[in-house]
Amino acid sequence: MSKVSSELAAKLKQSTEFNAEACYHCGTCTALCPMGYEVLPRKLFREAMLGLEEKVKARIPEIYQCLLCRMCEENCPQDVHIAENVRYLRNLINKEEMNLIK
Amino acid sequence: MPLPIAPILGILADNIKQRGSVLPISKKASTGWAKGLNLPKGGDTVIYTGQMYQLIPAIDAMSKQMAMFEESPITKLFGLGRFANKIINLSFFMSLMASKDMKVENNRILKNITGLLKKTGVEFGYLYEDDMYSGALIYDEGLDEIFVPHAKKVFEKLKKNGVKKIITVDPHTTNMMRDIYPKVVPGYDIEVQSYMEVLAEKAPEVLKQCNKELVIHDSCVYARYENMVDQPRELLKNAGIDIKLPELSGKSTHCCGGPIEALFPKKAHEIAGNRIEQLSEEGKDIVTMCPICLVNLRKAAKGKDCQLKDISDTLADAYL
Amino acid sequence: MAQKRKIGVYVCHCGGNISDYVNVEEVVEGVKNEPGVEVAKTHMFSCSDAAQQLMIDEIKEKKLDGVVVASCSPKLHMFTFRGMSERAGLNPYQYVQVNLREQCSWAHTNDKIGATEKGINLVRAGIAKCVLSHSLTAIRIETKPSALVIGAGISGMRAAVSLADMGLAVHIIEKEEEAGGWALKTALMGPEAQNGPDIAAKLIERIKQHDNIMLYTGAELTEKNGNIGDFNVKVRIKDGSEVEINIGAIIVTTGFDTYVPQEGEYGWGMDGVVELKDFRKMLNDGKVERNGKPVKDVVFIYCVGSRQKQTETCENPNSYCSRYCCTATTFTAKTLHALEEKTGQNVNQYHLYRDIRTYGKMETVYEEARNGGALFLRWDPENPPVVSEEDGRLLVKVQDELDGNDEIEIGADMVVLSTGMRPRDNEALDSILKIPVSKDGFLSEIHIKLRPVETVIDGVFIAGAAQSPKTLAESVASSLAAVAKTGGLLKKGYVDLEPLIAKVYEDKCTWCDECLKACPYGAIEKTVCGDKEIAMVIDALCKGEGACVPVCPHDAIDIEGYRDDQIVAMIDASIKDYSKAESA
Ligand code: SF4
Ligand code: SF4
Ligand code: SF4
Ligand code: SF4
Repeated sequence: MSKVSSELAAKLKQSTEFNAEACYHCGTCTALCPMGYEVLPRKLFREAMLGLEEKVKARIPEIYQCLLCRMCEENCPQDVHIAENVRYLRNLINKEEMNLIK
Repeated sequence: MPLPIAPILGILADNIKQRGSVLPISKKASTGWAKGLNLPKGGDTVIYTGQMYQLIPAIDAMSKQMAMFEESPITKLFGLGRFANKIINLSFFMSLMASKDMKVENNRILKNITGLLKKTGVEFGYLYEDDMYSGALIYDEGLDEIFVPHAKKVFEKLKKNGVKKIITVDPHTTNMMRDIYPKVVPGYDIEVQSYMEVLAEKAPEVLKQCNKELVIHDSCVYARYENMVDQPRELLKNAGIDIKLPELSGKSTHCCGGPIEALFPKKAHEIAGNRIEQLSEEGKDIVTMCPICLVNLRKAAKGKDCQLKDISDTLADAYL
Repeated sequence: MAQKRKIGVYVCHCGGNISDYVNVEEVVEGVKNEPGVEVAKTHMFSCSDAAQQLMIDEIKEKKLDGVVVASCSPKLHMFTFRGMSERAGLNPYQYVQVNLREQCSWAHTNDKIGATEKGINLVRAGIAKCVLSHSLTAIRIETKPSALVIGAGISGMRAAVSLADMGLAVHIIEKEEEAGGWALKTALMGPEAQNGPDIAAKLIERIKQHDNIMLYTGAELTEKNGNIGDFNVKVRIKDGSEVEINIGAIIVTTGFDTYVPQEGEYGWGMDGVVELKDFRKMLNDGKVERNGKPVKDVVFIYCVGSRQKQTETCENPNSYCSRYCCTATTFTAKTLHALEEKTGQNVNQYHLYRDIRTYGKMETVYEEARNGGALFLRWDPENPPVVSEEDGRLLVKVQDELDGNDEIEIGADMVVLSTGMRPRDNEALDSILKIPVSKDGFLSEIHIKLRPVETVIDGVFIAGAAQSPKTLAESVASSLAAVAKTGGLLKKGYVDLEPLIAKVYEDKCTWCDECLKACPYGAIEKTVCGDKEIAMVIDALCKGEGACVPVCPHDAIDIEGYRDDQIVAMIDASIKDYSKAESA
């Protein structure tokens, strides 16, 4: 069971950089990702968008492991900006979880 | 225990903030390659290395160390490392361990590219110590708030030297300076072209037909971010190269794994291994066009019956 | 057997559709000596112009007084050959079609001998029927150039205006005190943000300005008599008095009701759980607040009261999809986004759906809702969302199918239920109009594809959501279809009805009223004939479907074209012994 964080959901909703609303969960990205993650990027984005904070935190290693190679993005039928979304999540984590940016 | 993300990113961030590069290297290491080439300082058009080829030997040395730390209890001490790095330039010492051969090779690559560009008749200079790292890595890691001021500094340097157009030599700098800077640096108006785009456009004369087979490893950034797929093929074809392509190539190229080298060396090595397998199925001689691809794939090719070279070496053979 | 008949029998090859399995020449041989047969032959394609002309010539030349065509199903070509008979100067009801294709050759492709035998028997029966046929004339009814529309929602009003524009007099009655229907209560509507009350006001204005339209609000139908083209109805109007109206046709646009959730269904009854229409009203007032505090998170639950399965708590499930709610709810998402933009208030939207059915053009509404940041979670009816109250807020638990069925807990300030449509509970009206209802309770058309606005009651049409859940656009489309049918009927000035209906043998009838009770169309009336009471058939109402025939204890009622003597003769003819020798 996961609880929605209204704040995280609101943040991603209002962000102009993060954009995964168009994703219709075809799984192309997951299938093509050379990292072979089960999670990236489709599920990860969904969890982030829904505001499932705990789940997103549990995915931190995967978020930083993405190569930003755009193999997924090139083939995404919905033009989701996958690599940019991953970068956005890194930025969010850098700021809010790791205190890297002050 | 995997490498701790936060302290490593912290070190990179601190380096950029304090020293202007993710991995500060000596002036000699960064500009030494241009010695004796008589490139004017600055000017309308300059060759812009973004220090990528020069940094690679240092990064390689560092990641070798890191790979040893991965899965070892030492990772616990990384937080301390970040603290220490702020006071003394720890990563600089790591860079001293860089391989000599690699330095030589990278200097040769940059020299070759300069020679190729000169042959097109394009007039250009070099910024020497003002040729700064683009910030690609910290941008990719999402350290935007540190990246943006750095990018502004880089732009100031370009302006100070009167630069209007830069000719880049690697995909990451090309992408940063062409697509990312305009978004984050107000007033940014520098024209950016990769050296291969310039070459393909000017089509200099081929002096020697090479008549051999080469396997191309496309860089994901060139192919997918910068839409640059045809130019290297054209240049090689004119040089008499019989081009071999792995199944995943062009816009569908497979990443070399390099981008995660700093944080996940093991995983990066695994990806590179997969890629080498795909490439070596097509032939023994493989060309790359990105310093990160070159070093990372070469590590994975160790002990395999194949060699990797930067594309500029082949181009130099044919065109110079 | 009465007078000697002169019947032409034409057996069709239908290319090879029939003759590949039924030996048509043998059929001709087998029937040519039947009583009354003057000529029997085959045609390659009976329905071709050339073959029809040959038959016409022969009918005229040989002065035939009956024709049997043994070909395809009468559904395909009965009217073709009736027309042919008419052109040959023969009464069309003296034409009989025998189905040798669908009911014989195609059905018995594995048994050519059997198929041929059966073919002979079928044609013999057809000939026997034809021998006993006589000429009939269509029942012509003069139509009144006026119509009644029941229900002054958007569909009804739209129909009224169009009928009036055709020059017909229109009476439109509305049960409520005000015309306009649900549109009055629906602010902005998808997909293009039209305002319901505005649409209603425009139509009301047009109705008021039209000399041809009488609008009665607070009015109800109390009685209906007469038949297609000439109905007499009584309407109780606002002041309690009754007016009598004579019209040629009726359009029923009584619309729908909204589903009201059961207590506890998706939290219904808890503070903050509201119906979609009330939430939309709130948006229209420009405030997204609950108990004075701004709403931060809102959950929408789709398919409430629609697409139900039978369970212990839901005995009479609404199995249909209500069609409008997906569009209405995604459109509400868009309206909310627009409001957020205006006020700066952020509202997270969680849409819990089963399937999104924003079909056709409405798909863009869904896309825009998503792009605006509304989140969509899919649930399986086996595991519906559960709404509860916790710490003064609502808590919705849902298993998201798009995230591996993981259970997700959403804290919400409001839960909005997308309630579906219900058929109207109009018992009094239903008993007057007698339009059949489907198992879902909506009014039934004759054929969902081919006769979508006609009912089994001639001259009474249905349109809009009274018929089935529809969006407003679809309702208006169907009401204009009903207008076209009504206009076509009334502007011509008369209507010809099939004469194949019941007839009473005065001498045999004793008025036991069994037929009256059996007739589903109310086509039987009592009348006096000489000194006795007997049954009378109201020609315009009788459909000739024959419910009265088997119940009559005195064989005093028959259906023209299917009279008892004809049926008996057909049976006799078709079981006559057939032996190979006869045809050889
Ligand atoms: S490829 Fe694009 S649309 Fe398909 S699942 Fe991945 S992000 Fe979603
Ligand atoms: S960009 Fe990241 S998620 Fe996409 S294919 Fe490459 S490694 Fe996988
Ligand atoms: S339109 Fe959508 S919400 Fe309404 S019943 Fe159909 S599927 Fe459910
Ligand atoms: S059932 Fe027969 S006998 Fe009785 S009223 Fe009807 S027609 Fe007459």
